[in-house]
Amino acid sequence: MATTKVPEVRDITRIERIGAHSHIRGLGLDDALEPRQVSQGMVGQLASRRAAGVILEMIKDGHIAGRAVLIAGQPGTGKTAIAMGIAQSLGPDTPFTALAGSEIFSLEMSKTEALSQAFRKAIGVRIKEETEIIEGEVVEIQIDRPATGTGAKVGKLTLKTTEMETIYDLGNKMIDSLSKEKVQAGDVITIDKATGKITKLGRSFTRARDYDAMGAQTQFVQCPEGELQKRKEVVHTVSLHEIDVINSRTQGFLALFSGDTGEIKSEVREQINAKVCEWREEGKAEIIPGVLFIDEVHMLDMECFSFLNRALESDLSPVLIMATNRGITRIRGTNYQSPHGIPIDLLDRLLIIATSPYTEKETRQILKIRCEEEDVELSEEAHTVLTRIGMETSLRYAIQLISTAGLVCRKRKGTEVQVDDIKRVYSLFLDEARSSQYMKEYQDSFLFNETQTASMDTS
Amino acid sequence: MAVQSWIDILRLSKKTALIHDEKRKIHYLFPDGKEMAEEYDLSTDELIVRKWRNKSTLGAQTQWRIEVGEPLISPVTSLDSDVIKENCSNPIFMQKNTQTSFQWRIRNLPYPKEVYSVAVEPSERCIVIKTSNKKYYKKFSIPDMDRCQLPLDSSALSFTHANSTLIVSYKKPKEILTLEQDLLKELKKIKATGEGDVNCKTQ
Repeated sequence: MATTKVPEVRDITRIERIGAHSHIRGLGLDDALEPRQVSQGMVGQLASRRAAGVILEMIKDGHIAGRAVLIAGQPGTGKTAIAMGIAQSLGPDTPFTALAGSEIFSLEMSKTEALSQAFRKAIGVRIKEETEIIEGEVVEIQIDRPATGTGAKVGKLTLKTTEMETIYDLGNKMIDSLSKEKVQAGDVITIDKATGKITKLGRSFTRARDYDAMGAQTQFVQCPEGELQKRKEVVHTVSLHEIDVINSRTQGFLALFSGDTGEIKSEVREQINAKVCEWREEGKAEIIPGVLFIDEVHMLDMECFSFLNRALESDLSPVLIMATNRGITRIRGTNYQSPHGIPIDLLDRLLIIATSPYTEKETRQILKIRCEEEDVELSEEAHTVLTRIGMETSLRYAIQLISTAGLVCRKRKGTEVQVDDIKRVYSLFLDEARSSQYMKEYQDSFLFNETQTASMDTS
Repeated sequence: MAVQSWIDILRLSKKTALIHDEKRKIHYLFPDGKEMAEEYDLSTDELIVRKWRNKSTLGAQTQWRIEVGEPLISPVTSLDSDVIKENCSNPIFMQKNTQTSFQWRIRNLPYPKEVYSVAVEPSERCIVIKTSNKKYYKKFSIPDMDRCQLPLDSSALSFTHANSTLIVSYKKPKEILTLEQDLLKELKKIKATGEGDVNCKTQ
């Protein structure tokens, strides 16, 4: 085929990629915190979901600071899924910070600094602040894309109120967010001038006669009056870390030479803690303790664990959720063995939620949900085969086979994945057990085979 | 008396003066953390620039907000910034005082004079500019009058239009005139550092 490639103008809203846990929409609990068998992308794991629900209520209440929860279980039993479920049910206003245990090891920052930053990112402060906003009805949006397909886009936006009209120049980010929000002429919008955040208020009444196809939830609003730019008090949530950064930045021209964040002085932190407490007493601000989720927590070392012990005692500390898949293993940085690779004194402060392996029925259910998420149709027999693979190898491997099998199926112009497609990808891609088996058989022909150490040191 | 209190606040503030570029530049730091900077012409003693800066609630330093004088012309490089900005063809609003009156100039207003109506709204302590073609609208207060808590008088207000610029004038009342003269005397007493880079103690 000799068709010339035309650079496609891609819509931003369509680039929503499917992640490993994008099917999780919540914990799947009813009002009495009883887990439903299949709900919001969650399957099985009833006891641990129920436990997570109790923790969730505690977080929502926001009175208790510095509690820590450990989710422990074998690989592929939904530990991260439960954490994601908690994050999803918390809503957008409660801070949820997720990091992996190995993320804190960096040359630029000490381990404890990275941990304190993570802790402070997980505490939100809801405060009133005056900002400049632009509020008006869209008269016209004009976006010019360069003919070559690359380079900066140029845009103009005309807004009006009942009294006046103004033309604005748009930056690249603004153009993106305008097209993401699908703003068109006749919409009434507000733009936060400092952050560029766009909020659609509805459609103008003057456009009510346009016989456009519009959703049932379209609201009609009056065209705003007076000036386009207004100063308004808005309530927004910022994290303690953001306040730290704002206040620790070197002022004046020196700011050009110093890096952006780096380490934050403890005096700055203390000052800010005092200020926030003052605001809270005056009723100006509200503290929203959030969640800090540390995945693969066994990767932390002894120093970090003792830091955690101390940090959890502060009254400005979030709820800490950790996840690990290790059994009794060496604590990093020491020669001692301990359950989950966590020192006993820290374990003593934790509430531990255990996850158990999925049953065959549950595995089947999860694979079905993933098929829907990845937009792949599976025949009944193929589904059964895939479930078997999931049970015998691992759930993750079975999930990986979904989209690959989907591709194979599409290549032979089929609409539904059949057993043969699964067989084909199963033979193309090895799972962990088969790969190990292969290694054992052909080890001699690989490079560096003379190092015959029996077990690898993982910690 | 209200006029007195404003001049008291000015007296209490930390002041640094600097003579540079034929201008007397004064920096004020008020007890509540606000900063004000003024520039006076050395020969005519006219106020050229007055701008304000204060800390936001979270502690960040905000941009200088210009009360009197030409708005800062932003360098061309910031044109491709990511956020939103007024197009240069829009009306530009600025305050520029003369010895006897407060004056506001709005440039880039090409419509004929009949379109505009300018009025004082005493209840809201502000002046409102309206256009009958619904292209421009501006509501603004006179900060000098607010600080002295003087009432606004519609007879002091007048406006003209020429070269696509609308000029609104408001005659300064007696109280303001005496206050400005007192302030100027006071400012001349501050020992000004000469040319060159000097450390601004109040910053």
